[in-house]
Amino acid sequence: MWDWQNASPLTGLNFVAMVVGAVVVLAIGLGVVTYTIYAERKVIGWMQGRIGPNRVGPFGLLQSIADIVKLLIKEDVVPERADRVLFLLAPVIAFIPSFMVLAVIPFSARHPFTANLAVGALYYIALSAITIHGVMLGGWASNNKYALIGGMRSAAQMLSYEVPLGLSLVGVILMAGSLNLNDIVEAQARSGWWYIVPQFLGFCVFLVAATAELNRTPFDLPEAESELVAGYHVEYTGFRFAFFMLTEYLYLFAMGGLMATLFLGGWTGPWLPGWLWFAIKVFAFIFFQFWLRATMPRIRVDQLMSFSWKVLLPLALLNLVVTAVLKAFLS
Amino acid sequence: MSEEERKAETTAPQAPSAASAANRAAGAGESGAKAEAKPAAAKAQAAKAAPPDPRVEAAKAVAEQIKQVLVREFGEAAVEETGVAHRTPMVRVRKQDWPKAVEFLRTHPDWKLNYAECMAGTDYPDYIEIVLYVQSTELGHFVCLKTRTDRDPAEVPSLVASHPGLNWEEREIYDLLGVRFTGHPDLRRIMMWEGFKGHPLRKDYREWD
Amino acid sequence: MAQTEETLERLGVPADKLEHHRLRLDDDPDVRTEEMLLNVGPQHPSTHGVFRLLVKIRGETILDAEPVIGYLHRGTEKLAEDLQYTQIIPYTDRLDYLAAMLNNYALCHTVEEALGLEIPERAEYLRVIVMELQRIASHLLFIGTYLLDLGAMSPFLYVFQERERIVQMFNKICGARLTYNYMRIGGVKWDAPPGWLDEVRAFVPFMKERIKMYDDLITGNEIFLNRTRGIGQYDTETALKYGLSGINLRCTGFAWDLRRKKPYSIYDRFEFDIPVGTRGDCFDRYYLHLLEMQQSLRIVEQALDQIPDSGPVLGKVPKLIRVPKGEYYSGIEGARGELGFYIVSDGKDKPYRLKIRKPSFVNLQLLPELLRGQNIANLIAILGAVDIVLGEVDA
Repeated sequence: MWDWQNASPLTGLNFVAMVVGAVVVLAIGLGVVTYTIYAERKVIGWMQGRIGPNRVGPFGLLQSIADIVKLLIKEDVVPERADRVLFLLAPVIAFIPSFMVLAVIPFSARHPFTANLAVGALYYIALSAITIHGVMLGGWASNNKYALIGGMRSAAQMLSYEVPLGLSLVGVILMAGSLNLNDIVEAQARSGWWYIVPQFLGFCVFLVAATAELNRTPFDLPEAESELVAGYHVEYTGFRFAFFMLTEYLYLFAMGGLMATLFLGGWTGPWLPGWLWFAIKVFAFIFFQFWLRATMPRIRVDQLMSFSWKVLLPLALLNLVVTAVLKAFLS
Repeated sequence: MSEEERKAETTAPQAPSAASAANRAAGAGESGAKAEAKPAAAKAQAAKAAPPDPRVEAAKAVAEQIKQVLVREFGEAAVEETGVAHRTPMVRVRKQDWPKAVEFLRTHPDWKLNYAECMAGTDYPDYIEIVLYVQSTELGHFVCLKTRTDRDPAEVPSLVASHPGLNWEEREIYDLLGVRFTGHPDLRRIMMWEGFKGHPLRKDYREWD
Repeated sequence: MAQTEETLERLGVPADKLEHHRLRLDDDPDVRTEEMLLNVGPQHPSTHGVFRLLVKIRGETILDAEPVIGYLHRGTEKLAEDLQYTQIIPYTDRLDYLAAMLNNYALCHTVEEALGLEIPERAEYLRVIVMELQRIASHLLFIGTYLLDLGAMSPFLYVFQERERIVQMFNKICGARLTYNYMRIGGVKWDAPPGWLDEVRAFVPFMKERIKMYDDLITGNEIFLNRTRGIGQYDTETALKYGLSGINLRCTGFAWDLRRKKPYSIYDRFEFDIPVGTRGDCFDRYYLHLLEMQQSLRIVEQALDQIPDSGPVLGKVPKLIRVPKGEYYSGIEGARGELGFYIVSDGKDKPYRLKIRKPSFVNLQLLPELLRGQNIANLIAILGAVDIVLGEVDA
């Protein structure tokens, strides 16, 4: 029943397994998001000499759940002059890809819920680009100037950073010789080093581009609260707002997973079980993002663009060329 | 009142009945404008009794100098009054010459009163007075310039051309005291909203009328 | 094209800047762009209160900006006409509510000048200490909010730690944390409680340490430099023309500090420098806040050394204060610039007219000038650096 990945033709039982798998991954995703938000508030709180949430449940552990319940029971307001259909649709368009990309992240060596996709890396990049539509449409459909500017900024930013992000992956793919994320992890295990070492330049480009893709500080311009109030989701309330938030944090988790897979050897590691290694690596990335948020001011929009095209892109290309040349010579 | 009488009044400061040093200095700061009600003779007598404050005397001398400079440029009628506003030299300029005189003093090599510190308008029973405290950052002069306008219609030429920083101050005076500044680029209410009736800082303003 | 020119004229774009706008707007004849009116405020997280800025933008370029103020107008000047002088003091607390001590002092100082009062030594020193502490507290909050405007959230929470200590000390000396009502005409209301001066003495090295920390954490940050260096620049001449004061004037390299230029209180007894900027940009304005805090600490230190151990804190003042007939103006160096009170008295116990020279109000006028032709992304950086408090702007 659980070996549905290789099952052909698809049986009813296999289909049930697929659905169960999707639900399990969704549940994991939601759980991770809930406690990522809690951890963010707690960690940043400590960094700023505060306590953080500590009222709801022991150590405030139920705070995020209380927030979610609050958002669920809130009125779903649609502005009168908004484009109603698009306004309602935008959070869905934004959210679905963020959940779909989790399908290719290999959480551990053998678990049945990872689609062992031959073009995993490409799939991730392609799907995450769809989210931009949701964000942009949401900003546009709100009929609010701040939301519009936020949505446009967001589109411009995500498009420009997608390029260096994609290119920084190519180095890894060249080394592993596969687009399949499982294969990449195994290739790292075989070669004896994590790709962060030979692909250090690529890793740096990836890290910066990933931060920008995630709209996190210092690249949080689309939702810069001091400039654009809240950016593209300024008119959203209740669960539609929660969808946008969920999207963001799911991407944070997925991007951490992608980084762990590509550069830090995925689930591999001594002594500890694979899933724990994976979790440690992912949370290292997430913690790094918290840390940045507590430290950095926000970059300006024109500087953001020129940084992507004038600095990151050449670096990514350089990395690609060097990798290709070295690979050709060494093999 | 003739020019001579006015001058005589301002140069003879009114001394208060209390003989404390504090009040003496302060009383000497009388601009003369509000002293008109009392008979001049009584004041002159009182002035003899109290020795004048040297700081006030110096300020008065400075005011006279400014007057001479202005009179040379704009004619005798331009300066209506000189005196002291509590140790600060005070010169009252005729309304028509107000912006020209301020600009002239701003660029005059001996005065260079280039830094407008404070502008205020005051509603007196018979007139509205515009006060401008200007400072010379280079030469250190600190002078109080004044002009007067009727209460109705209250109109004073604007100073924005020479001191752009007075833009909002004039708008505020227009808003709260109802003085129209002719030549002001953007004379609108600033504190109160458009459509507000009346000018609250006028003494005869009543909220419920 | 003609329409564009008309628009620019209507917006009051000065003739020498017209060419600049025309180039930017009409460089691509195929693209039809429209002006957009963006309403920043009165409900906006970065306007520091109820301040509204009407921005006309085309693309990302600001064509014009019009500040709309008055949302917090309480008519303090009118209210003061029906209040005795001592009763006005609590109203001054509500002007620049981040530096209430300085407001208190500015009013008391003007009335004392008018009366020619002698202030007891100990009161003078207490005043200087609380005023300089207040200046530090106010500057701290500027640094926090400015960095918050630029997207860094931690400094905002950091500065509250030091500010909290200052506020606690104020609480001990006058029983209030924000609106102090501490000064009286002729002195101060309360003497320092036992141990209070030691507390201040302990605070000085702590604060020095923290200023160094902020310098390390913020000043060298590449993103921060990129966002503030060369942004919102103006020269001394412009600043003087617009009547700017305080750090907004000193950032252009012009050393104008009323504590030095027209010494009031006992400031002529202390040694301190007037830090000035070099370029007149947002970075200089930020950095001067740090440097001024250091100078304030120096003054506090010296005041602590010189303060007499005991003595009266309130001079001999008549029960009912009647200011002699006349008009009085005196300004002090507030946290945001020259803070002055102009009083016309007709010899009664209430002022005939009271006018407040509000530094934020005057400083804010330059804002449209600074914003015109700028990229919209700089709006918040420039607005934040002007350092306004709406309670004072609107009075």
